[in-house]
Parts: sequence; C-alpha cells; structure tokens
Amino acid sequence: MIVVDNVTKTFSVSRQQRREMGPEFRGTRIDAVRSVSFTCRPGRIFTLLGPNGAGKTTMLRMIATMLRPTGGSITVAGFDVVTHPVEVRKRIGFLTGNTGLYDRLTPDEMIKYYADLYGMDPVTYARRREEIFGLLGIQEFAGRRIGKLSSGMKQKVSLARTIIHNPDVVVFDEPTSALDVVTSRAIIQLIRRCREEGKTVIFSTHRMGEVSLLSDDLAIIHRGSLIFNGSYKEFETQMQTRSVEDEFVRLVEAA
Amino acid sequence: MNRFATIFRKEFTDTIRDRRTLFVMIVFPLLLVPALMIIVTNMQMSSMKKAEEKTLRVALVARGNAAGLVAGLTGRPDIRVVEGIPADSMEAMIARDSIDAGVVVAADFDAHVADMKSGTIRLFYKSSDDFDMVKRRLSDIIAVYEKTIVTGRFARLRIDAGIVTPLSIEEHDVASMKERIGKTVGGMLPYLFVIFCFMGSMYPAIDLAAGEKERGTMETLLTAPVTRFQILLGKFAVVVVTGLLSAVVSIVGIFLAVRQASTIPPAVFNAVMAILDVQSVLLVLSLLVPLTVFFAAFLLSVSIFAKSYKEAQSMISPLMIVIILPVLIGLFPGVALDSVTALIPVLNVSLATKEIIAGTIKPGLLVEVYASLFVLAGASLFGCARWFGREETIFRGV
Repeated sequence: MIVVDNVTKTFSVSRQQRREMGPEFRGTRIDAVRSVSFTCRPGRIFTLLGPNGAGKTTMLRMIATMLRPTGGSITVAGFDVVTHPVEVRKRIGFLTGNTGLYDRLTPDEMIKYYADLYGMDPVTYARRREEIFGLLGIQEFAGRRIGKLSSGMKQKVSLARTIIHNPDVVVFDEPTSALDVVTSRAIIQLIRRCREEGKTVIFSTHRMGEVSLLSDDLAIIHRGSLIFNGSYKEFETQMQTRSVEDEFVRLVEAA
Repeated sequence: MNRFATIFRKEFTDTIRDRRTLFVMIVFPLLLVPALMIIVTNMQMSSMKKAEEKTLRVALVARGNAAGLVAGLTGRPDIRVVEGIPADSMEAMIARDSIDAGVVVAADFDAHVADMKSGTIRLFYKSSDDFDMVKRRLSDIIAVYEKTIVTGRFARLRIDAGIVTPLSIEEHDVASMKERIGKTVGGMLPYLFVIFCFMGSMYPAIDLAAGEKERGTMETLLTAPVTRFQILLGKFAVVVVTGLLSAVVSIVGIFLAVRQASTIPPAVFNAVMAILDVQSVLLVLSLLVPLTVFFAAFLLSVSIFAKSYKEAQSMISPLMIVIILPVLIGLFPGVALDSVTALIPVLNVSLATKEIIAGTIKPGLLVEVYASLFVLAGASLFGCARWFGREETIFRGV
C-alpha cells in the first residue's frame, strides 16, 4: 500500500532555469508537486496521468525515496519514506522508460548485483532467477554482454531487475515511453501480472490508450496538483460519451 | 559493509572491462610511456653521435696567419676545410647549409699575437643545429691552439705556467651517488606518477558518476536498499584503487624502461636501481594513498555534478594543468621541502618524493606531509559525501 498525504515538493530555481522560463516567472522556488494526496491499494493498478512536466516523475521519485517531500508524508508498505528510506527501498521495484543497464555486465551479473543489494539469500535468489528468467525468456542470452543485446532483450533484463526481489510495491514511471509496440506489450503484461500477484502497482503515463487498458484507480496531475482522483469507473461515468483524451483535455483546461 | 563490497565488486568489474580506462590505467603507463622514453632517448643519443662524428665543412680565411690553427683544422679527418670563400658570404652560406661553419682570422692576427696582444678570430656557426655541436667542436680546436700560444708566451717571458693557477682546489663531494641521482630522478618521478594517478582516477570517476547518470542507471541504483554513502563509498574505492594501480604501473613502466635503456652508463644505472628499492617505493606509494583519496573525492564531486560523460570530461580535463603546475614547481631549483611547502597539496608529494628517493627526508617534515594530506583527504571525502547527498547535484540534468 502507498499512502500519499498532502505532499508538496518545492525545488529551487537556478538563474539559467529562470531565464528559460521567461519573464513571467518571478521568484527563486517552484512547486513541482502541490498538496497531493492519494492511496494505492494492493492488487490494484493506480495510474498517474498527466502531461509532460506535470509532476508525475517527481511524485514517483518521492515514493521511491530518491527525493524527499518538502511537506506532507508518504508511507510505502507501512514505512515512511523520509524516516525509513532503506526499508521502503527493500519493498519496491522501480522501472522507468529511460532505465539504463550496465553494458559491460551480462544479464546474469546485472540481476545478481541487484539481488545482492536487496540482500537475497542464495537459495531464494536461485529459485527466483529460475522463475523470472523462464518467464521473460532471458536464459538464452543470460551470459552475453548487455551492450550486445537488442533493445527488446535489454528491456526484459530491466523488467527482471525490477521484480527479482519480489517487491510488494512496483513503481513504473512512463515505462513504455520510447519503446516499440512489442516491448510495450511485454511491460503491460508484467504490470497486469503484478496486480494478479496482489502487488501494489503505480504507473505514470501520458498515453491515453494505456489508461483504459490498465487502470483500476486514476489520478490526473496538472501543474503539480491533482485535478482528478478516483476509481477508473468513476472517471468513465464522468466521461459520459467523451473519449479518455477528450475528458483529460477538458479537465486540464478547466483547471 | 557487505553492500559496500557488492557495489565495489560490481563497479570494479565494470571499470576494468572499459577499454578506455584499461588503456589509460595499464597500457599507457606500462608500455607506451616506457616505449616513448626509450625511443626519444635513443633518437637523441643517435642524433648527438651523428653530430659528433659528422665531417664539418669549414670555410677558412687565414691570409697566412695562425698557422697552428690552420694546421689543426686541415689535419683532421672530421673537418673538410673549404678555402676561397669570402668572409662576407659565410653567413649566407651557413644559412643555406652550403657549409657548416666559417673561421676568419684577422689580417693583423700574427702581428698582434707577436706583440703579446689579442688576435681576433671570427667564428661563424648556427647554434640551432645539431645541439650546437659545430661551435663546441671548433671551440675545442681553437682552445688547443690558444693553449700553445699561451705556453709559448710563458716560455718567452721565462714564467712558470703555475703562476696563473694560485689555487689548488681539492673537491670532496659528500653527496652519495644515490643522493645525487635521487635528487634528479626523484624530481622527475612524481611528474609521471602523480599525473598517472590523476589520469587513472579520472576516467573511472567520470564513468561511475556522470556516465551512470547519463545511462539512466543511477536512478535505479538509488532505489536499491543502500544508503547514498554506501553507493559513494563503493564508487570512491574503485576510483582510488584504479588511481593507485595506474601510479604503480607507471613506476613499473619506468623501471622497465630504465632496464631496457642501453645508453645509461653502468654507474648511473646501478644508482637508479639502488634508489628504486622496496622501502623507498613503498614510502612514496604511502604518500600517494591520501593524495589519490583527494583526487577521487574531487573528481567524483565534479563528475556527479555534470549532466553527461562529455560535460564531466570537459570540466575535468583542464584541471590536469592545476595538477601539473605544483609538480613542475617541485622541479624548480631552490624549491625545497620545508614546513610551508609540506602543507601544499601535490607540491608536498613531489618534494617529499625527491627527498625520500635521495634518502634525505626529515621525519618531522614527512609527518607534516602525511598530516596535511590526510586532513585534505578526509575533508574532501566528507565534502564529496555531502555533495553526493544533495538532490540538486544528483538529479541535475536527470
């Protein structure tokens, strides 16, 4: 379970960033996320939808303990992200569309590295490795250098790295951006599988098609604030005859 | 500790599989530098030998004067005297390389010499060619001729030649061969190993921080159940190890180059081998440990701030000059290890190395050097850890 309670994240703005933002921006700090609250429950997929720069990545980075909230609180699997970051990290898997891998390692070495960081014992690791490598079809290229693999193979290794420690909570930050249809489908299948296994899943996207495919719960974020937070069914009811895209645009323009 | 070891093991494996790092860390100091040293030295020696043995074409205008000098020049197999070239053409002919030198004896030369006065000899040559060997060789011949004139004058005046040498100096140099060679070689050594230490740390530091950010692996590493300090320490240890390894390899490279060099006189060779004894080398390496810690902390701090590998490289490369400068100052005559220079980073290592190799290091100053280096290393590691913990630094450009 993830509980986000009245979270704000403020960044200081450098002189160069101020120049880039134009003369209408005054001040030295900017709220990337403003008073955001939501709850992600186990066995459900929570979608965070928003345009580029809305604050999705900042929100997910705070959940994954990379950034500290300026205000409010976040608990993941019962642990506070600020006071118990290492406990939180033990329980989450994190994947982004831009996730890179170590080109000079083999998939086997890469996955073992993360298993060791997660403190997995050799027996559990061997069993989990067998299961995931079989599921994703990694075995045949497990000993080759990652730099020599195709992008599809690399994405499979990324997925294996994300779930090797069998996390309770999985965070996907625009996981399908810049991926082809086949690889995107593999990720979508994995997200569904995580739900079936009873994990808490949160994923961010700006692709409308993925929203209807996956969402159980939905939050729409715009300029750091939530403009919708509810179940996907509620969103569908609110949409009436409009498409997801039309309803999203309507909400953003009304905000 | 276990997770630190995990990170260290992975980062080290990743680093030594990087061809660029491997080249800078091992191949360059171990093979390329000694090969270059040997090639350059051999080429220089060979050119000097050629210049010494070359038959000089010397234009001579004596007008019947200085018979001894003329005989000295014409009687030599390594000099071909060319006559009939006017004195005012000599400069142009030397510039055109038609002749190597010109000797013009003044018309009143013999008369002046006979009157116990100075006779004028004009010598034309080009100092920029052949290590100035032309002038040296002709000057030697002229000096022999001058000596015969002086001896003749003493005889004519019935004076004992010893009258012009009232002092008889007996020199007793208390500096051992180890000390003399040590001060020279010991000054040059830091120039190589400090630079290699820096270069050996540079590429891993860029790859493990800016490179990791650029590849998108830093973000996932930060979600693993390790503290940022453990991540930093793992990377930091790899950078220190590669820097030290590079310095050690450069010393091995120099050692091999000296062993291969056939042009070094045996006495000097033995002295060089004697100063590269295990104790001195270990002492010098122990100075490099805190210096490498400083380099690693500094390089990682810059690298983690950079948005990309390329940006880190462009930020770090000019810093090489900042490192070379104090090492060069250490080579200046008169700059010695004292209570002030012992506090200046890099310069203190350079000067202390010179003293260690020469066997003249004072324990008090060595302690001061260690203390200053360890304080610097500790402060830079502390600063780096604080810097690494800042969101603004680690997510700059991510």
